[in-house]
Amino acid sequence: MKRFARLADLRFLLSAAVVVTIVLVAILAPHIVPYEPNDQDLLNILMPPVFAGGSPEHLLGTDSLGRDTLSRLIYGARTAMTVAIFASTGAMLVGSFLANIAGYFGGRIDWAISRMVEIWLSFPPVVLSMLLIVGLGIGTDKVILAIILVDWTRFCRVLRTEVLVARRQDYVSFALLAGFSNSRVILKEVLPGIFPMLVTLFSLQMGISIVVEAILSFVSMGVPSDVPAWGQMIADARIDIYSAPWGVALPILTIFVAVLSFNVLGDSLNRVLDPRSKIAHSS
Amino acid sequence: MIRTLLWVIGKRLAAIVPVFAIVSMLVFAALRVLPVDPAQMSLPPSATIEQVEAKREEMGLTKPIWEQYAIWVRSAAQGDFGESAQYRMPTTRLVLDRLPATIELATCALLVAVTFGIMAGLLIFSLRGTIFETIGMVITSAIMALPDFLLALLFILLFGVLIPIFPVNGRLDPEFSVPLRTGFLLFDSVLAGEPRALLNALSHMALPTLALGLAFSPTIVRVLHSSLVSTYQQSYIRQARLRGLSDRSILFGQALKNAILPVVVLVGTQFGGLFGGTLLVELIFSYPGMGNLMLKAMQTVDLNVIMAVALIYCGTTLLFTSLADAGAYLLNPRLRA
Amino acid sequence: MKHQNVLVIGGLEVSLPNGHRILNGIDLTIESGRILGVIGESGAGKSMIGSCIADTLPAGLRISRGSIDFDGLPLNSVTAKSRRALLGRDIGFIPQEPMTALNPSLTIGHQVGRHLARIGFASARLREECAIHLFEEVGLDRPKELLSNYPHQLSGGMLQRVLIAMAFASNPKLVIADEPTTALDVTIQAKVVELIARMVENHTTSVLFITHDLRLAADLCDEVAVLYAGRIVESGAASTIIREPLHPYSRCLNLAAPNLSGPLRPLLILPRTMPSAAERTLMQGCEFAPRCPVADTICATQKPSIGLVAQDHRSACHYPERSGSIEPPPARTGALPDVAGTDVILRAGGLQKTYALHDWMGRVRKVEALRGLDFDVRDREFVGVVGESGSGKSTLTKLIVGLENVTTGRLDVAGHSCEDRSAAALRAMRQKVQLVFQDPQSALNPRRTVGSLVTQGLEAQSGRLSGEARQAIAQELLAKVMLPPDVIDRFPDQLSGGQKQRVNIARALCFSPRLLVADEIVSGLDVSVQAQILELLRTLREQAGFALLLISHDLAVVRHICDRALVMFKGEIVEQGPVEDVFGNPRHDYTKALVAAARGAPSSHKAAGRE
Repeated sequence: MKRFARLADLRFLLSAAVVVTIVLVAILAPHIVPYEPNDQDLLNILMPPVFAGGSPEHLLGTDSLGRDTLSRLIYGARTAMTVAIFASTGAMLVGSFLANIAGYFGGRIDWAISRMVEIWLSFPPVVLSMLLIVGLGIGTDKVILAIILVDWTRFCRVLRTEVLVARRQDYVSFALLAGFSNSRVILKEVLPGIFPMLVTLFSLQMGISIVVEAILSFVSMGVPSDVPAWGQMIADARIDIYSAPWGVALPILTIFVAVLSFNVLGDSLNRVLDPRSKIAHSS
Repeated sequence: MIRTLLWVIGKRLAAIVPVFAIVSMLVFAALRVLPVDPAQMSLPPSATIEQVEAKREEMGLTKPIWEQYAIWVRSAAQGDFGESAQYRMPTTRLVLDRLPATIELATCALLVAVTFGIMAGLLIFSLRGTIFETIGMVITSAIMALPDFLLALLFILLFGVLIPIFPVNGRLDPEFSVPLRTGFLLFDSVLAGEPRALLNALSHMALPTLALGLAFSPTIVRVLHSSLVSTYQQSYIRQARLRGLSDRSILFGQALKNAILPVVVLVGTQFGGLFGGTLLVELIFSYPGMGNLMLKAMQTVDLNVIMAVALIYCGTTLLFTSLADAGAYLLNPRLRA
Repeated sequence: MKHQNVLVIGGLEVSLPNGHRILNGIDLTIESGRILGVIGESGAGKSMIGSCIADTLPAGLRISRGSIDFDGLPLNSVTAKSRRALLGRDIGFIPQEPMTALNPSLTIGHQVGRHLARIGFASARLREECAIHLFEEVGLDRPKELLSNYPHQLSGGMLQRVLIAMAFASNPKLVIADEPTTALDVTIQAKVVELIARMVENHTTSVLFITHDLRLAADLCDEVAVLYAGRIVESGAASTIIREPLHPYSRCLNLAAPNLSGPLRPLLILPRTMPSAAERTLMQGCEFAPRCPVADTICATQKPSIGLVAQDHRSACHYPERSGSIEPPPARTGALPDVAGTDVILRAGGLQKTYALHDWMGRVRKVEALRGLDFDVRDREFVGVVGESGSGKSTLTKLIVGLENVTTGRLDVAGHSCEDRSAAALRAMRQKVQLVFQDPQSALNPRRTVGSLVTQGLEAQSGRLSGEARQAIAQELLAKVMLPPDVIDRFPDQLSGGQKQRVNIARALCFSPRLLVADEIVSGLDVSVQAQILELLRTLREQAGFALLLISHDLAVVRHICDRALVMFKGEIVEQGPVEDVFGNPRHDYTKALVAAARGAPSSHKAAGRE
């Protein structure tokens, strides 16, 4: 059993390391790119990466307009991270706020919020986000808003269950009997209990936001076309998939690694933060 | 028992109607507060302002919103969903042409997902305590990080470019033609007695179905696995073991019925996601279904088509959620008390 | 009559992966047709014995030494498959919690049928006949209907009967009953015990009866073995061991349990706790020595082996004869001093509470939890409320502290009427009445330290206290409940059950309430731990700080610390009065049944026909 515990820590460290790397790349993008991402070089189009026969000038090759793939991937990380962080934070705030109110107060408020979630969930999320973009228009901030408006339900639904469980615990009744106001009880008794699940969901949501952003830019309904985005890179490269498959493979790989590390991080965080599992480890 | 089951389904379906109505109103309203003018979109860029205004008048966009909605509802109840601004064809016709392809795709993908998911979940669970369980869960996590559209693209790379064994475009090779009676290619080719066409249709469906199904399966695997783990912690499993029942009869005779419940609920509630995934998969494989239609409609702001297709997505999702509820009711006797 | 031994366990040791021993050398023998009781507190390892026989030890634990012979067959050397073949056929099990022991999604008939099919009933018709016959044998009404019911539709007592029927169905040689009555009401307990005795007679089965309840073992069992820290410390005839134990631990256990009849005396408190698996592996001498009131120098250095001290009576002690000299602290008289005041702190008149329940489908069902209660509690008086599940006692506590609203009737608590629902009135009332919750697991926020928990009441008041002031108050409260000051920085998960319960009490005392409501606060605790809490309450009573309304299903507990008792049944008070009156001379039929069940029926179980 101890072997598996160390394995779990290994997963946490690895995924955390990858996540931190991606975030750093995103922040430091302007300083570490070899080329400007939108600089075209029409003499050197569709070059393969250096390990597939290309030149070391463009480590990961170029796209159909001669733009350096590596630089575009790095700036794509910046786009993805920007969208993901703002969208996930927004979804978390909205979702957990409503979850707390619904789960804690119950009754008609719970009924109303649950019906709202139900209506929201009657849409396939992908379709809904696209519809929202049709309504809101194109742009990074609109993408963030669209993701918040679609994914708050995830937080709300899962956290509401946790809040309901916490609400029924005797220590909440005690706090009320002791004269704590409702908001204090939520803040001091309920919230710390749902915190591990909140963090896990946040990490998961980061992964999902990256995917949604990629989908939207893939169908040209996301960030503006002059902003580099992984999804858009795939869409562009798809036309030449037979002659230059790396153009498609590389962004797919990047998205995969990013989403995987956020997923694994979320899972391991849950294990780390949950005090019940902490006792199992300490004994 | 059948009677109560029908009663439950009926009650849930009745509950859907108001939700459906509200959703239709919301979508309708959302589509009317666009920054883009649909009338302008349907005319060539050189149109004059008067022509645009006239077009708006013609499309009924100048009337107050509730009147527009009422008109729409009245026609919709008779099966008329207006005319597509882009194709200049009745929307109903357009949608019905494309719908069977998408349904075929979604259903087969669901079958793949459920079969594969349950088998994998059972397999990984039966290997619990060994290193293979960990390997299995790692692979599952890896697949989870690949949403349907990435898997689709990956499949094109692997099986379309690298090792071309499956076609990556359309539903049927041009040399085949099958008289469309139901619109479901698989049925029609059987009905027409054309086995080679059937095989060809299947090979065209292979990659899109696999991409969709495989992308959906890891959640099933994980939910089934964790559900089995928590079921096995229950006292009655230990008691069954103490009565001498074998591992196999405990798994299939006692545990599965309890453990499958969360999976049923999951499949029902997530089916909407699967159905929505057809949108991208159809785009990527140039599959002539509703998804492709919807994308074009969104790009050209073709309101009637958007509305109709959105409602179909909505209706399907709600339908499957109620089926999931009914399934939960069947499987959990405590709910029936 | 055959006297072949059905079960012989020799030198059994069960170890953890790191070598620490949970069972440290067990010797047991059960003869054919006899009932052997194994008595032990939590941590002693009694459930392990059953798991060893059934080969269902949890992962990581293994039998490191010793032998188990079942009917002459050495279980250690038999394949796993053959061992599994014995289960359900030659060895039966009766579990502790009947409510969760059957699969909730399969009908009773289906599950019983599978079991019967396994033990050889080939046709479905035969199985149904057999099932009905078995159900009638265990005293279940309408057996045919029961077959198509689901487990959640039956009560705990009925489910336990079904499980007993299944266990005895194959006429097994041995039935292992692991605390089968712990989760049941007192009156049902008595019936189940009676049933087991009857089944043993009808099927000539031997029973290994695992329990923590001395009196129960004395009633039912022929022989008894006392388990402490992984070893049998005393074994012999049940009545002898209970009446005249020859081991200090057995005697202390006896003296730590409150009794229903006989003189009222303070309970014996044992210091410290039972050694853990790690500790008992390393100990050189007797495991009980650190807590033994009559221990000597040799006890700490040399482990006593179990040996005959009288006819058919074995004890593992260097000085077994000293056990008789152990007495509870003589400090104060047994009777409770009369400190109750004359002011009335709680008055209930015609108190009623009806719940409207909405179920999954939206239907509404009215449940009458309380049907018109009339009673008083005076200042500084200790009143006990006894009743079984469904009597409404928990609802009463919720009404008193204001967690639920009164439907009709009058309830005045500490001068506040239940009709005054203003925030100020509620707040004032809550300062004077406090509830000590039953389940310490859910009563204490796992993320707060003990220090923060006991002073939580102060957080709600205006005027911020400094950290040191708060710390000081916490220390004071912990001292009051006799907890060491170093627990102040620990989390609830790091405390034992008894310690958690004391934190619970300390937290309530923080308010200096005039009325304390305690809902089943000692149920589920070991006898020795329960004794500590009860004596603590007694001490606090003498300091005359507050009145107590103690809810309990255990009549002996109520008799030990309360002045008056109320008996509740199905939402009504059927009898009330001074404790000795109500329990010594019950008038209402229900009270009579309750008292009879709590006292234990006379030894009619051990019928003359058996040897």
